[in-house]
Amino acid sequence: MAELNKQEIKPAKIRLKEIAEKATQDAWEAKKRGEKIGWCASNFPQEIPTTLGIHVVYPENHGAAIGAKGGGQRMCEHAEGLGYSSDICSYARINFAYADLKECPELNIPQPDFLLCCNNICNCLIKWYENLAFQLDIPLILIDIPRLDAFECDQDRIKYIRAQFDDCIRRLEEITGKKWDEERFKEVMAISQRSSKAWLKAVDYMKYVPSPFSGFDIFNNMAVACVARGTLEGAEAFEQLAREYEENVKNGTSTFKVKEEYRVLFEGIACWAHLSYTFKTLKNFGINVTSTIYGPAFSFLYQNLDELMAAYSYVPNCNIFEREVELRVKDAIKNKVDGAIIHMNRSCKKWSGNLYELERQLREQAGIPTVMFDGDQSDPRAFSEAQYLTRVQGLVEIMAANKRQKEEQNRE
Amino acid sequence: MGMDIGSTASKCVIMKNGREIAAQSVVPLGTGTSGPERSLEGVLKESGLSQEDIALTAATGYGRNSIPQAKLSFSELSCHAKGACWLFPAVRTVIDIGGQDVKALTILNGRLDQFVMNDKCAAGTGRFLEVMAHVLDKELSEMPELDARSKNRVDISSTCTVFAESEVISQLAQGVDICDLVAGIHRSVARRAASLVKRLGIIEPLFLTGGVAQNSGVVRALEKELGLTVRTDPRAQLAGAIGAALLAWEQIREEE
Amino acid sequence: MNKMEKILDELRFISTHPKQQLEQYLAAGKKVVGCLPYYCPEELVAAAGMVPFGLWGAEIQVSEAKRYFPSFICSILQTTLELGIKGEFDRLTAVMIPILCDSLKGMEANWRYGVKKVPVINVAHAQNRKMQAGLEFTVSQYRKIKKQLEKLAETPITDRAIAVAIKTYNEQRGVMRRFLAAAGKHPELISFADRNAVVKSSYFMDAASHTAKVRELADLLEQAPESKHQGPKVVISGITADYSGLIKIFDDCQIAVVDDQLTQGSLRFRFDVPLTADPIVGLAEQIGQIEGCPVLFDPGKQRGQMLIDLVKQSEAQGVIFVQTKFCDPEEFDYVPLKSMLDKEGIPSLLLEGDKQTTNYEQARTAVETFCEILG
Repeated sequence: MAELNKQEIKPAKIRLKEIAEKATQDAWEAKKRGEKIGWCASNFPQEIPTTLGIHVVYPENHGAAIGAKGGGQRMCEHAEGLGYSSDICSYARINFAYADLKECPELNIPQPDFLLCCNNICNCLIKWYENLAFQLDIPLILIDIPRLDAFECDQDRIKYIRAQFDDCIRRLEEITGKKWDEERFKEVMAISQRSSKAWLKAVDYMKYVPSPFSGFDIFNNMAVACVARGTLEGAEAFEQLAREYEENVKNGTSTFKVKEEYRVLFEGIACWAHLSYTFKTLKNFGINVTSTIYGPAFSFLYQNLDELMAAYSYVPNCNIFEREVELRVKDAIKNKVDGAIIHMNRSCKKWSGNLYELERQLREQAGIPTVMFDGDQSDPRAFSEAQYLTRVQGLVEIMAANKRQKEEQNRE
Repeated sequence: MGMDIGSTASKCVIMKNGREIAAQSVVPLGTGTSGPERSLEGVLKESGLSQEDIALTAATGYGRNSIPQAKLSFSELSCHAKGACWLFPAVRTVIDIGGQDVKALTILNGRLDQFVMNDKCAAGTGRFLEVMAHVLDKELSEMPELDARSKNRVDISSTCTVFAESEVISQLAQGVDICDLVAGIHRSVARRAASLVKRLGIIEPLFLTGGVAQNSGVVRALEKELGLTVRTDPRAQLAGAIGAALLAWEQIREEE
Repeated sequence: MNKMEKILDELRFISTHPKQQLEQYLAAGKKVVGCLPYYCPEELVAAAGMVPFGLWGAEIQVSEAKRYFPSFICSILQTTLELGIKGEFDRLTAVMIPILCDSLKGMEANWRYGVKKVPVINVAHAQNRKMQAGLEFTVSQYRKIKKQLEKLAETPITDRAIAVAIKTYNEQRGVMRRFLAAAGKHPELISFADRNAVVKSSYFMDAASHTAKVRELADLLEQAPESKHQGPKVVISGITADYSGLIKIFDDCQIAVVDDQLTQGSLRFRFDVPLTADPIVGLAEQIGQIEGCPVLFDPGKQRGQMLIDLVKQSEAQGVIFVQTKFCDPEEFDYVPLKSMLDKEGIPSLLLEGDKQTTNYEQARTAVETFCEILG
């Protein structure tokens, strides 16, 4: 009981940071013990390694962290020196550099003995992991989740995903010597559900006006939703996060430290390499992010195996376009946004390919003004402070005018 | 005679017996202008020779196929490799930063072995430096000296020339020292060149050719980026023309 | 040789005037189904009595498509969408759009919103194509497509009809393999422009008609006296080399393309569809057999060893990679492939192609230099 209370004293965001760091630490320790560890794609069914008790680390998260800590350019340049085009995903470039250098000052992750790839978010991952398998001469397991062509995931896809899920388990048992346990699997699924629901609940607090937290906090807190959502600590930390936000709502406080003048939907991956600038610019205008895709993105809700398979096809960038639009529009309306800021991410062709139409649909269906800016997730060179500021300022002017007009209408 | 007709400059040299430069001429106008003709006239005038006295003329560079006097044409890569070897016989890796091109070459046994060229855009080329100098309202020739006075280099992070321009303007508006900006601009160019040459794998000694080689600020920045000595020569801008002349010379020797 | 020139002329014309071909089919009352890169079950279209028509972009400038695609999506898709938005494909019965790369994954929605008139048939292949479950998935998708085609053609598609179509297409594959092999031995008779035209025309003609013409070409070539061509021998690798500016440079430099590893090239014809009791299973199995293509899952990087083997078998002196600008799969593949070639001491050159590029001067310099190096 005393232990629990000690944990409670730490704010949830600190707990979450520690849990994310611990996930990497655990992998290091497993490696030192002689266990095989893997590199894993961000939206791979974590239920598999978690149930088997296998430790994995996530190169995409690693790339985000390196970008945020200022190492993005150096690592990208190293990859470009190896012959990689600057056109490809900056997470991949950073990871190729890391696989070559074996270490970097920003953050180190243990080298992999096997690779777990899932292309639900993009096919770029397939090429990335193919190269790693070749370069490092280690086994690669791919769970192929074909982009949906309808709102719902069909039985053919579910069957295919399920077969690959089972095949992955067999191969991992061979590679690591660990054994699958159905009871443990049930436990992991239950914890993952608890965790997903808690994450969704916490993120949902953004709907309050004013929001009890700064939207950019999501970018920090979500690491656990990616790397440790199958853990009890993760579930508990998210539940604590939700409780903290509940408190804030009651007290009328927020982690967003200035008056919330405007509420926006932020579309896209964060510009990790320019997190501070992109946030501060918004804050200076009193803009809080109160809608992002990252709630549903990392909540995998299922009640049986079929639904688990389907859940991994409902991730952003795997849905049919109309479902992607619906996710944004519903959230924008529920969370009462005044406008949207859209990140055209040079690194991500999948996310950018329909972004212009998404913007149009968002404007029309949610009835909000939008602006788009050029940036990149972890390569600092593809962003212009002047462009971002100008465009945000433009959006503010429109939102201000809309606000004034509404106030006038209310008075009449 | 060797003629290197580039996008922004026309360079000619006359070589005697494949061993010495009898005359040279550089005109800062490239293909499609009066540059090539003026450069040709200039080099003939300086040597006191006439076109008939020239045994064979070879051309290289962007405008190599539009020179009536040149019976031969070679790619500028082969010519820069040849010219760099003549200027610096021990050379193994050459970087050429031209008006709109950046190239890296490796030399093996005095010949071009492998090469790689810049992709897509103007960043990291002579053009980039021109644009930046213009933004700063300085002459290109002033850049090295400004760089030398820099105390706190300000890095320009954008890879896009247009974004970089806006970054520099932003910095100027905030009162940043011009010398520090120039140092940052030079570093940008050096980083692009370094990135390109690393794709080939550097074998020392390294030699820099092309118009930008005259900018000691870029040379120093490149040395810092690569962590090795970057050699150059005041005649480095002529490397292509020298190479072309030498290749013409070799052709004559073969025929004899 | 007159006969050869005549056939080549016809195929050159068809490959550069696809619109006229399309008009002909439509005028004859045929229904035409557009097929986007990289692999579509064309046999199913043919079995329905419709004509499959390749849509691999065009050398035009893009303006309308910019409302849908950002600049860093490949020009094959941008220009195809451009033509679609402008109404060029309005009389197609449908288009088939695979999801084999991230840009293609975005093409479908952009087409539906931008082109509207022409319905989309989604083509989902299993990337785990050698796994039984993967095969079954591809089969399930092809069955779904078959139903959609039946509806559009207003006629049922029998297994027999599919089997007949497969036989026709396999015949085309066999004849094209003969032609490509013979063309590789006779660069003095078949320029790269012609080689590309013969391949490209296959996308705009029904298989039987195309096969008839190419068979004649192959027969003539196989009888031609040994070539005395002097130019450097090269293998070209990539998704497509259909960039007229680059093709002209190769021919200007007297390059002999002795073999290729092009998706829009030899790979299209290299692997026959196996004859199976259920013909749709055969179609799906073929996808599992194709190697050397950047968009099909290749965990062992077999594309590299295959390329080395092609170079050795054809006694080529080097490899030219023709990479489509902004093509992620090719950009990823390039690094390990280059290192494999370097280890074998095989010189290589990387060139970029773009459907919107008109000036390839930098590429010309690079190709000339490469030829100088190959000596």
